Amino acid sequence: MEEDKQTTESSVDDLRAKRPNISRRSMCLGIGGAAALVALGGLKYVGSTAVVRPPGGQDEDRLVSACVRCQKCYEACPRGVIAPVHVEDGILQTRTPKMYFDNGWCDFCADENGGVPLCVEVCPTRALELPAGATAQSTIIGKAAIDTDTCLAYRLTGCRFCYDACPYEAIELDEINRPVVIADKCNGCGACESVCVSLKEGSISSGATKRAIVVEPQA
Amino acid sequence: MNRDTEEKKSARAQVKAPGAKPGLAKLRRALPWIVMVVVALGFGLHKGFGTLSDFGWMDVSVLCPLGALGTMLASKLLVPRALISLAIVAVLILLLGRTFCGWICSVPSVAKLRRAFAKGGRTKKDAEEAAARTPKLAPGAPLTDKEKALLAQSCHEAHSSRGSRVFDSRGAVLAGALGSAAIFGFPVFCLVCPIGLTFATILLVMRAFGVGDVTVSLIVVPALLLAEVVFFRKWCHTLCPLGALMSLLGRANRTVLPTIDNEKCLETSKDRRCGACGRACEEGIDPRHPQLGAARANECTRCRACADACPAGAITFPLIARTQDEGPAPAIAAQEEAKTLPHS
Repeated sequence: MEEDKQTTESSVDDLRAKRPNISRRSMCLGIGGAAALVALGGLKYVGSTAVVRPPGGQDEDRLVSACVRCQKCYEACPRGVIAPVHVEDGILQTRTPKMYFDNGWCDFCADENGGVPLCVEVCPTRALELPAGATAQSTIIGKAAIDTDTCLAYRLTGCRFCYDACPYEAIELDEINRPVVIADKCNGCGACESVCVSLKEGSISSGATKRAIVVEPQA
Repeated sequence: MNRDTEEKKSARAQVKAPGAKPGLAKLRRALPWIVMVVVALGFGLHKGFGTLSDFGWMDVSVLCPLGALGTMLASKLLVPRALISLAIVAVLILLLGRTFCGWICSVPSVAKLRRAFAKGGRTKKDAEEAAARTPKLAPGAPLTDKEKALLAQSCHEAHSSRGSRVFDSRGAVLAGALGSAAIFGFPVFCLVCPIGLTFATILLVMRAFGVGDVTVSLIVVPALLLAEVVFFRKWCHTLCPLGALMSLLGRANRTVLPTIDNEKCLETSKDRRCGACGRACEEGIDPRHPQLGAARANECTRCRACADACPAGAITFPLIARTQDEGPAPAIAAQEEAKTLPHS
C-alpha cells in the first residue's frame, strides 16, 4: 500500500514535469514559421505579368497590398468573368482577381445592380474600389487590341463579330471591312473578346493561343 | 444491419458516458463540410455567402481577422469594413474562444485526408498519440492526498496562480505574418493560408470542370494545402497564426467553458482516480486538474470530447459557470494560468 502511494505520487510529479513550457522544438517551429513568412514577403520582388483587373482594381499596388484572396468577387460577378490569376502569371498575384472574357464581358452590372459593379461592392478590403461617380465609360479596365495575324477579318473573311458586339462604338471597319480599335473610346469591357471566333473549332487561324482581339492591361 | 450495429454502439456509448451527445458530435464533424458545400454552391450560382475569408451575404460580411489586420498593415489604410469585422470577431472570441477551430474551420477536416495516406485509416503517429493519452495512472484507484490537494487547487485556488506562457510557436508565426505584411506591403499569410487554399482548391476544381480553365494552380494550390496540413501534422497546434490570434483574444474568455459538476465527478464525489476528460482533450487541456494539462482553458475549441468522455456525465458547457464556493466548479474557467505551479 505504501509502495503504491509512492509510485503514484512520483507519477503525478512526472506528469507535471512533462508539461511543456516553451520547448526548443516549439521555439524552432515558431522562429522557422515566422522566418518563412518574412521570406515569403520577398515574393514582392519576383516578376509577374500584368493582368487585366476587375473594375476598381487598376491600381496594381493597392490591389496587391489589400487583396486577401477571399474570392468574394468571383462569386459576386453575375457574368462569371472574374476568376483567380494563375500561378503561371506570377506567384505574388496568384488567386487575386483577373478578368476572363471567354464567355462574357463586363457592363458594370448595369442590369444586375444599376451600374455599380457587384465585385467592387462586395470587396471587403477595398482592393477593388472606384472613385465616386465612376461609370463604365470612365473606368478603363484595359484596351482591346487586334492581332492582325490571327484575325479572320484580316484574311478578308468579312467577320465582324467584334464590331457588332462593341457597346461603345470603339471599333470601326476600314474600307475593306477590317475592324480597327479606336483606343480613346475603348474601356476594355471585353465584349469584343467574348464573341471573337478566331479560336473556335474550324477556325482557319491555326496555331493561335489566344483570341485575335483581346483586352490588354493598361501600363 | 449497419443500423443495428450503430444503434448498439451508440447504446453502449450511452451507458459508458451519460453526458455524451452523439448528435452534437456528428454535427461538429459535418459542419466544416457543410460550409464547404455551401461555398461551392455559392460559386456555382454566383450568389452565396462568400468563403470563410469573408463570410456573409454581399457586403454584409465578417472578414477574417488575420486578413483584416494583414490588409490594413500592408496598405497602411484603415478600412471600415475590416475594422467592423475585427470588432465583431473580437466579441465572438470573447464569448466563444476558439470555437471556430473546433466547429467551422475546414483545416482539421482536410487534415483528416492524412488517413488516406496511411494504411488502416490511422497513421502511426496518430496511434502513438492515442497510446500516449491512455491512462498512466490506474483509473478507479482511490486518490492520494497529493492528488486531493491538486483537486482542491483546480477548484478553488487556481484563480490566484496567473502568468506564464504568453508566447508559443503560433504566436511567433502570427508576429511573422503581421510583420511581413507591414514590411512588404501585402497580406503575406493570405497567400499560404490553408483555409484560403481549401476554398481556392474548390473553386479551381469547379472551374476546371465547369469552364475548362486548366492551370498549373490546379496542382500547386492543393499541393501547398496538403503540404501544410497533411504532412505538417500539427499545423493547428504549432503554426496556425489565426488560432494564435484567437487564443490571444480568448484569454479574456470566461463563457461556455467545460464545467465539472463536482457532485457527479468521480474524483470529487467518490474520491476515485479518473482523468478521462484530460485524456480526451486534443488541445491538451485537463479540465479536472488544470495544472497537469499542457494547455490553458483559452485553447478550448468546445469540441465536447471531454464531456463525451466523462463516465459520470459531469461536464457541461454552461454560458456562465456558477461561481463556486460550494457546489459545481467551473473547472477551468477559473484556472487560466494555473500551469505555473512550481515544479517540485
